[in-house]
Amino acid sequence: MPAALRRHGWSYLFVLPTFSLFVVFTLLPVAQAFALSLQSASVVGGEWIGFENFATLAEDPVFRQALGNTVLFTVVVVAAQIVLALVVASLIQPLGRKNQTFYRALFYLPLVNSAILVAMVWRWIFNPNPFGLANTALGAVGLGPFLWIGSSDEALLAVILSAVLTIPGGGVVLYSAAINSLPRELYEAADVEGAGWFTKWWRITVPLLKPTTLYLLVIYTILAFQIFERVYVMTNGGGPNNATITIVQLIYSTAFQFGRYGLASAMAVVLFVMAVAVAVLQFRSLRSDVEY
Amino acid sequence: MERGSGTTISRRRFLQSVAAIGAAAACAPGAGPSGGAQSGTPAGTAAASAKPVSIEWWRRNYTPGSQNAETLTSDGAVKAFRERQPNVTLAIQGGPFGAETDQKFDIAILQQKAGPDVFHTTGGDVLKYAAAGQLSEAPLTDAERRDFNPSALQATTYKDKVVAYPLWIVPWFEYINLDLFNERGVTPPKDGSWTYDEFLEAAKKLTFKRADGKQVYGFAHANDEFAFMLVDGGRPYDKDVKKWTFNSAEAVSGLEKWVALAREKVMPPDFLTLNPNDAQARFISGDIAILQRPSAMINVLNADKKFEYAKSWEIANFPKGKGEQTAWGGVGFIAVREQQDADKKGAAHQFAKYLTGPEIGPDLKKMTPPVEYWLAPAARVSAAGIYGEYHPAKAKVAKMSSFTYVLPNVRTFSEIDQKHLRPARDAALEGKKTPKQALDEVATAAQRLLDEANK
Repeated sequence: MPAALRRHGWSYLFVLPTFSLFVVFTLLPVAQAFALSLQSASVVGGEWIGFENFATLAEDPVFRQALGNTVLFTVVVVAAQIVLALVVASLIQPLGRKNQTFYRALFYLPLVNSAILVAMVWRWIFNPNPFGLANTALGAVGLGPFLWIGSSDEALLAVILSAVLTIPGGGVVLYSAAINSLPRELYEAADVEGAGWFTKWWRITVPLLKPTTLYLLVIYTILAFQIFERVYVMTNGGGPNNATITIVQLIYSTAFQFGRYGLASAMAVVLFVMAVAVAVLQFRSLRSDVEY
Repeated sequence: MERGSGTTISRRRFLQSVAAIGAAAACAPGAGPSGGAQSGTPAGTAAASAKPVSIEWWRRNYTPGSQNAETLTSDGAVKAFRERQPNVTLAIQGGPFGAETDQKFDIAILQQKAGPDVFHTTGGDVLKYAAAGQLSEAPLTDAERRDFNPSALQATTYKDKVVAYPLWIVPWFEYINLDLFNERGVTPPKDGSWTYDEFLEAAKKLTFKRADGKQVYGFAHANDEFAFMLVDGGRPYDKDVKKWTFNSAEAVSGLEKWVALAREKVMPPDFLTLNPNDAQARFISGDIAILQRPSAMINVLNADKKFEYAKSWEIANFPKGKGEQTAWGGVGFIAVREQQDADKKGAAHQFAKYLTGPEIGPDLKKMTPPVEYWLAPAARVSAAGIYGEYHPAKAKVAKMSSFTYVLPNVRTFSEIDQKHLRPARDAALEGKKTPKQALDEVATAAQRLLDEANK
């Protein structure tokens, strides 16, 4: 037995409970999903059909629409949330310690709300009737009324807007903490060189926040790929003419309403591969040796 | 923490009490995740000699202790049945309407070959369970067969065997707001009958903006119906349920009538995503003059004391198109599990017959307080009368069963509907496709799924 194992072997005992739970409740279900994706599976069992489910997906226009909607939602929402979180955190940063804490809490607290409740509020905001809040507000300046979630042309836009207009509290807190830990000397040196606030922000703050940005990018991308409840509540599932259908929404209906567990698992595998691929790309393009 | 008397209870004392209640509940009859109204030991001497049997009944939307209609009627049904059959002990399990409960049924019945002895079911589930050999044939006499609505009985027939007892037929029809009709000088349809043209004309007149800017719409439906596609004689399937026919000239013509309502803007702008609760609330608040909903809404309207039947609201048939008078409806069923235990199976059949038969309505009406068992018109002629006795509006609804089109059970219908038919319908209603183009595009995928269901 190697010396290292003799010396640290017992420590594996400490991680065993957590690792066991991880295996039972995460690893095995994921492996089972991969196995199911190769089967024509229903609730009573299934038979192996190779990659037939994936071929079915490739020819399924509803899946292609769900894929397109999910990607569009992810690209717009993640980009917007990262920028918003960074800007808000940067605006908080010059405030005093107490004010910083207040604003961090202010932006973070809405996260504890039920996602369903939040989606219901957005459903009312983007109600196509004149009494919808967005139409009422826009009507005051002579715009609209718009059909929002009542139209296949505008429903996805409404869902995206609802996500974009929700300031990402988690991102604000993380960026805010990261900004506070940046070395002051760099800013002092920039001051000596006569740099303005925007130059300092763009040339010092943003580059040094790369690790935080990478983390948020990966997390927000995965969360955006999993968009479900917002679409489900705001647009009664897939919206008019399936305009807002997303992959997870389609997985839900395919598995639990149509009873096609194999096909739903194949969709989940596609989503998993997409998430991994995007995460790898993000790591490769944004990884840096930032040290301070 | 304060008790009612004002004395203080310590946290330890509180936890002890909770533990004691928990232990008592765990030992009590009917304890379990959703165990509910389990009847006690057999009582009465009349059937004291009968062999005691315990059976389990699964009822959708049953929530122990709640006041919802399914719970009140289920508890009443168990109590009344026990008075007739004291040797049979019944336990009820429930779950909300929706995919989660459907899956619970599927896993128990199809995967574990366990679960209920008798259960409430709907739609394509009946044939799915029958195909898996999990349903026991209903032992019906010829007279009983003739007593059931033929299309409801057809919906529960699998390989020439009746595999479930039709419970009720839930018709969809029009609710009309008489206050708005009076305000706009529109005459309500005589005897509830109107043609499509009369209906459209009324909907146009009833669509208006008030002086305060509030918009009223003539007509709305919650986003879960295809009724208009039936009015000219269109049907989703042929008689044998082998061929998809919802792209026939009659179905296209029906959809054109529906599209005309959208084009005339007599429906609210969110009609494609309007959910049933919102639709009902807006009907009651006077924002919608004619609302297409099922019979269950009668109780919702009756709960509002200010909104009186025949004074503020009335019901009317679907507008009549080129075809015969029709209505759109669904059916509920009571099914009995196939099993080795003949006593349990026999008791389950007795209970299923009771739940769908003519005795249960009067039995529950005699209770204190009386319970309205029939939430929709019964699927048996001999049991149908009492539904009409509950309320004058229900008396009218009871007559609709004769022309209600019951959607045949096809286990892939939800996939046809959600993935293909509904988006196509939306495209037509939005004016992005013609009705014919939209329905023709659905036909191939729908036929494939229908063939799969018929395999």
